[in-house]
Parts: sequence; structure tokens; C-alpha cells
Amino acid sequence: MKKIELHPLPVRIWHWINALSFLVLIVTGIQLRYREMVGIMPFRTAVDIHNFFGFLLTGSYFIWLVYYLATGKIRLYIPDLNLKRLLMSMLNQAKYYGYGIFIGDKNPFHATPDDKFNPMQKSSYLIIMVVLMPLLIITGVLLWNVKGFAKWITMAGGLKIVDTTHVFLAMCFLTFLFVHIYLATLGTTPIEHIKAMFTGYEELDEEHSH
Amino acid sequence: MMQSTILKTTALDFLSRQEETCSRTQIRSLLSLIVGPVFGLVYMLYMPIVFLSLLIMLLPGIAIAKSGPVAAKGDSEMCMGCHATEGMTKKLKNNTTLSVYVNATQLSGSVHSFLGCNDCHKDISMANHPADRTFKSAEDFRATTTKLCVTCHPVASFTEKRMHYQIMTQAKAPPCVECHSAHSVQRVAAIKASQSNNDYCLGCHKKNIRISSTQSTVSIDGSQLHSSMHKNHDCASCHTGFSKEAHPLASFANRREHSITLSGTCKHCHADKMAQVEGSIHSSMIKEGNLNAPVCTDCHGFHAVRDKAGFNTMAGAPCKNCHQDVFTAFAESVHGKARLNGNSAAPLCSSCHRAHDIKATALNEGIKFSCLGCHKNAGALHEKWLPNAALHMDSVSCAVCHSSDAGGRVFLRLVDKHTGKPFTEEQVVKLLGEHYRELIGLMNPRSSDITNEGLYKIVKKLNASSEHMKVTLIGSISVSRGIEAHNLTLKQHAVKECEQCHSAKSDFFRHVSLVIMKDNGEAELFNTDQEVLGSMFSVLPASQFYALGSTRLKMLDIIGILMVAGGVSLPITHLLIRKVTAPIRKKRKEEHS
Repeated sequence: MKKIELHPLPVRIWHWINALSFLVLIVTGIQLRYREMVGIMPFRTAVDIHNFFGFLLTGSYFIWLVYYLATGKIRLYIPDLNLKRLLMSMLNQAKYYGYGIFIGDKNPFHATPDDKFNPMQKSSYLIIMVVLMPLLIITGVLLWNVKGFAKWITMAGGLKIVDTTHVFLAMCFLTFLFVHIYLATLGTTPIEHIKAMFTGYEELDEEHSH
Repeated sequence: MMQSTILKTTALDFLSRQEETCSRTQIRSLLSLIVGPVFGLVYMLYMPIVFLSLLIMLLPGIAIAKSGPVAAKGDSEMCMGCHATEGMTKKLKNNTTLSVYVNATQLSGSVHSFLGCNDCHKDISMANHPADRTFKSAEDFRATTTKLCVTCHPVASFTEKRMHYQIMTQAKAPPCVECHSAHSVQRVAAIKASQSNNDYCLGCHKKNIRISSTQSTVSIDGSQLHSSMHKNHDCASCHTGFSKEAHPLASFANRREHSITLSGTCKHCHADKMAQVEGSIHSSMIKEGNLNAPVCTDCHGFHAVRDKAGFNTMAGAPCKNCHQDVFTAFAESVHGKARLNGNSAAPLCSSCHRAHDIKATALNEGIKFSCLGCHKNAGALHEKWLPNAALHMDSVSCAVCHSSDAGGRVFLRLVDKHTGKPFTEEQVVKLLGEHYRELIGLMNPRSSDITNEGLYKIVKKLNASSEHMKVTLIGSISVSRGIEAHNLTLKQHAVKECEQCHSAKSDFFRHVSLVIMKDNGEAELFNTDQEVLGSMFSVLPASQFYALGSTRLKMLDIIGILMVAGGVSLPITHLLIRKVTAPIRKKRKEEHS
């Protein structure tokens, strides 16, 4: 087995800042939205924490964007531009998770530093990082200063639509979070991928070590 | 000889005497002829003069004689023997005392000086002098005595003087002496000449006189008039058409109508203030037929017009005359208490509502500016601790948080999407027609309140009716009742807990109203279902109103629950299948190895 550095340190820091931010934002978001049912902390505290971690997530996103654009690592997120190949590879990956994994098939995809994400991950993360995250951040920033961004909010269709979009995206991320964490346990061992996100290194099968 | 001489002498004397007698008779006859006619002539001319003089002197006596015996002047002197004593009084049945002192000087200068006392006091004589407690009251005495005035001045003679006639023919007509006095009666022409216009008017109007048809008093407290800001004004300045010579009959249905009409004359001097009043809610109410709405005189008084400074006190604020409950709340508020404690910088009613161009307070943005006019640093202070402070101050009226125990209400105002200005009733009528209220009812057939769907339909219909005007709903939170807006408290008691609003259980969102602003600034409210705020139907029409947590979309919650449930169940299901299929993998691995 060969160890490769799959997640460089900046990526790992970014990932865990993101993870923490998402967790806190989800908890405080639930507190803000469902105050009559949830009493973890006062509303005012929840607002402050939500704002803080919201900006932390925003900052983190821009660091990621600059880092990935500057290093060209952004290509990790670019799926196969050949649509047929893309669909076939996605189908192949879906088939693995939906069937092959149960009968002991090998994962058709093996992560390398230059090709970390399987075709389904690529498509999902591309949409998440290029569409959903910016939308979540923009709506969040608009809601942070409603009066200051009144024109933008009106252009976006109104406060209710901005908030609905923000909450809907948060719900999507929460849903994704469960799947994301579960998929992270589908390595050779349940903690393999998670451990790699701390250490940066993951063991490669001999078969794929070259 | 001697005898003959004597005889001769006697005869001569006789002859001479005869001759002398003859000549005297002739003289007398001659004198008679001259003096007789002269005396006759004098007599003929003198007697008519004497007769006429006597007639003139006796004429008043003859007039009185028609109704009774000519009074003996001596009796009057006897009366005055006692009644000229200053301070003389008589006890009446109602235990009051009546002055029976008669000022002799005034009496002699009176137009009635030729009369004797019992020409008027007919039933009083030395033999029949009333004892104490003969009359019930001073009014009774005056009424009884002055009934006799009409014997010389019959009521019928006043028919051309309609105002005078009207007063005289009232059931409770004031006695003549009320205006003309009892013993110092003057000719009206003399009174007019000697008195100023105002004093002439007050001559009657300071008495207890009433309009016969309505029994409204037209009495004026002269002291009030003299201490008024208008003390130098002529009565006719306001009461146009009236003068010493003219007293037109009033043609007002009631006293209120008179006040309203007369207030119109204020503009002659106060045109600027009247222009402000014209745009006020009070003026609009009057125009709409609500005659209880105040006019100039209701606040400023009509004869006791006060100095402006008089209004700037808690006691002098006229608003409380109609808005007593609100004023009581204000008096107990932080502002009212400060004012009572002598802080002249603390506001009074007019400080926020203004004095003349008073607008309807419902959703009146001007009120908020009034608060901020004094509390200039309010924005900065809120920014320090309140997230989205500007939004809060925009959407929530100050009183919602700063008034103790204020109940909130959500107001959804129809607003022109392009201009941001309130959509007025006139515009609604233009788009939906005169019967828009019925139309709104038809859009909500299953409820007396506007439902989710109904609200959507109303806005859709308004927008479909015009290509140029697009409507949206702007929400705000204000107090439910005006009284709550005045019971403002110290800032340490103000609402600071976000949870009071930002919770689905908040009381502030229980009551929702659709608002259509009337042209006069008043708001017409349509009760709206509370569910509207969290309905998908409100996303488009009320897209700008959202309170975190309290008006969240219920549909989104359901979608979120389903999504998260899917997100949780997918790994669980996958894991379970993996557990179930573990033997397959194990067997395959064994085969492979």
C-alpha cells in the first residue's frame, strides 16, 4: 500500500473551517428559524454567531476560490466535457453505489491528487461550489444588512424570496451533509477518508498506486 | 236872591256835572270799543297755545290714564323715601335677598322719569306693600313686574324687529329689564350712540338669552371676551353681517353648524393656518359629514381665544377634549410625566401630531419622524445592539417596543411598486370600481377575513387591471390601538428581547390587516387571516415583508423536513442494505481469494 498526499494542508484547513462553519450555521439557523421550538441559546446570540460563522464561511470560500484558481486545481472540479463519457462514468459510479458496493465490486474510481473526485462528486461539487455556495453566501450577506442591500433584495424578488432561497439552500446543504458524511465512511475502512482529511494522506491500493 | 243864586249855582253845578258825566261815558264807550276786540284777539290766540301746552304736558298722563288711574307723583316720592336708601333689600321665598334700592339719579335720568312708581309696580302701594317672601325669586319678581311693559310697548309692535320679537315671544323669554334695565331705561338710539359696537352687542348678549328654536344659549361672558386674544376685534369681524343696525336671523340647523360656519371666518386673518387645517384629518372628517370633528373654535375657543402659550401646557392642550383616553395614557407616559415635572422640552400632542395639519395617525410615517426629530441619535443607538436596526426602525413603529404592554398588528399596505407610494383608495376605485369592498368579499367567499388565496387574487386583480400601475404589499408592525402609541415608557423598559417578535408564537403577528389608505390619510383596514404571512400565496404579493422565524413559509418547512428525512434515510437504508448484503461480499471475497 502506498500513501499519497491527497489533501494538502490548506485544503484540509479549509475543509474543517467549512465543516465547523456549516455545523454552527445549521444549528444557529435552526435556532433562528424555530425559536418557539428550540432553546439552545438566545435569539440575539444566535444572530451574532450565525453572522460570524457566515462571514467565516464566506471568507473561507473566497480563499478556496483564489487558491484553486491560482493553483489550477479548479480542474479537479471540472467533469469530463464529453457528455456521453460523463454520463456513462456517472452511471457507472451510481451503479457501484447502488448495486456494486453491496456485492463487493471494486469502486470504479480511485482518487489521486490530480483526480480526487469521482464523476458524481465532480458534478455535485461543481454545482455546490460554483452555484449553490455563492447563492448561499450572497443571500446570507443580503439578509445580514437588509436595508443596506434593499435594492439588491428588490432586484432578487423581495426579502421573502431571498430568505426562502437562503433557507432552501441551507436545507439542501444539510441534506447533502448526511450523504457526504456517510459517503466518507465508504472507504476501505469506515474512517479511512475521514482520517485522510486530517492527515492529508490516503493509502492507495497497489493496483492503483501507480 | 241868595236862594236864587244858590239855585243858579246848583243848577250850573248840576249842568256841569251832567256834562262831565256825559263826557266820561263817552270815553268809556270808546275804550270798550278798543279794548274789547284787543282782548278778544289776544284770547283767541292765547287759549289754543295754553291748551296745547296743557295737552302736551298732560299727554303721558292721558296715555297712562287709558290703563289706569294717573299716579300721584307724591306717592312716588313717598316710595323713594325708603327705596332710595342704598343697600335696601328684601327676602325672597328662595331665601335669597333682592336689592330693592332705586338709584334716584338714574331714575330721574331715565326715559321713564315721567312715570310714577306704581305705573309699573301696579300692585304695590302703601296699603298693599309686599312683605318679605312674597316673591319666589328675583326672576319671579322681575318677570311679574316687567309684564306690564307690554301695556305701553305691545309685542305686536316688534314684529318688524324679528330678533327682538323672537326673544320676546319665547316661553322663557328673559324679562325686558334683563337688557333694558329697570330704573335707568335709555332710548335705544341713545344707547347706540353712546356705546362701542362690542358693548352694544354685549348689552343683550351678556344676559341669559337663548335661541328660541334650539334653546341654545347666545350668552357671552363679557369678562372672557375682554381677556381674549381677540379683545380688540369687533364682534362683526367674525359675526359678519351683524352691526348695531343689523341683526339677521340665524339660519343654522343647530349650534354645531353655526360653529363650523363661523370658523370659516378665521381664515380672513389666519389664512396660513387655515390652509394647513384644510389638509388635516379633522377637516376631512367635517367634509365627510362628521360634524363632531373639531373646527377652529373647538380648540381655540370662540370668545375666550387664548394665547398660543396657553396651549403648550398639559392643562391647556385642547386635544384631550375629544381624545381623553389617549391623553390619560400620554399623561402617564415618560413624556407626560416629564412635562408635568416641568420639562418644557418634553413633547405635547402637537409636538408629534402638529397643531393644524394633523394627519391620520394610522401608519403615519410622520409620527416616526417626530420621534426621530427629538431622538436624533436613536438610529445610532439602535445600530449598537440591534441587528438590521435600520430595517427594524423602518418596519416597526417606535411604540411597538417603547410602549408598555403594546399589542402589535401587522399592516399590509398596498403600495405602488414603482413609486413606493401608498396606493390610495382613489386608485383602488379606479382599478376595481366603486364596489371594491364587495369585490374583496367575493374573492374571499369562505371567510369574513381575507384569506391566503384572497390576498393573492386581490393583488393579481389590481395588477391585471392596469398596465402602468403595479401593486405590491409592504408590511409593517404597529400598535393595535392608538392609545398604546402614547403610553411610552423609559428605554430600560422597552422591548429588547428579539424573541418577542421573532417566534411563530409571537403576539405581534396574530392580527393582520390589509390597508387601503384613504385620500385623507386615514387607513381602511380589512381583517386578514393570520396564515397569510406564512403562506406561499404571500411570497409574490408580500415579497418585502418577512420577519425571521415569525412569518416563515410553512411549505418550506415541509419541504425541508422531507429533504432532511431523505438525507438521513438514504445513508441508513444504504447501510442496512450493506449489512444485509455483507454475506454476499464475504462469500465473493472468499471465492476471490
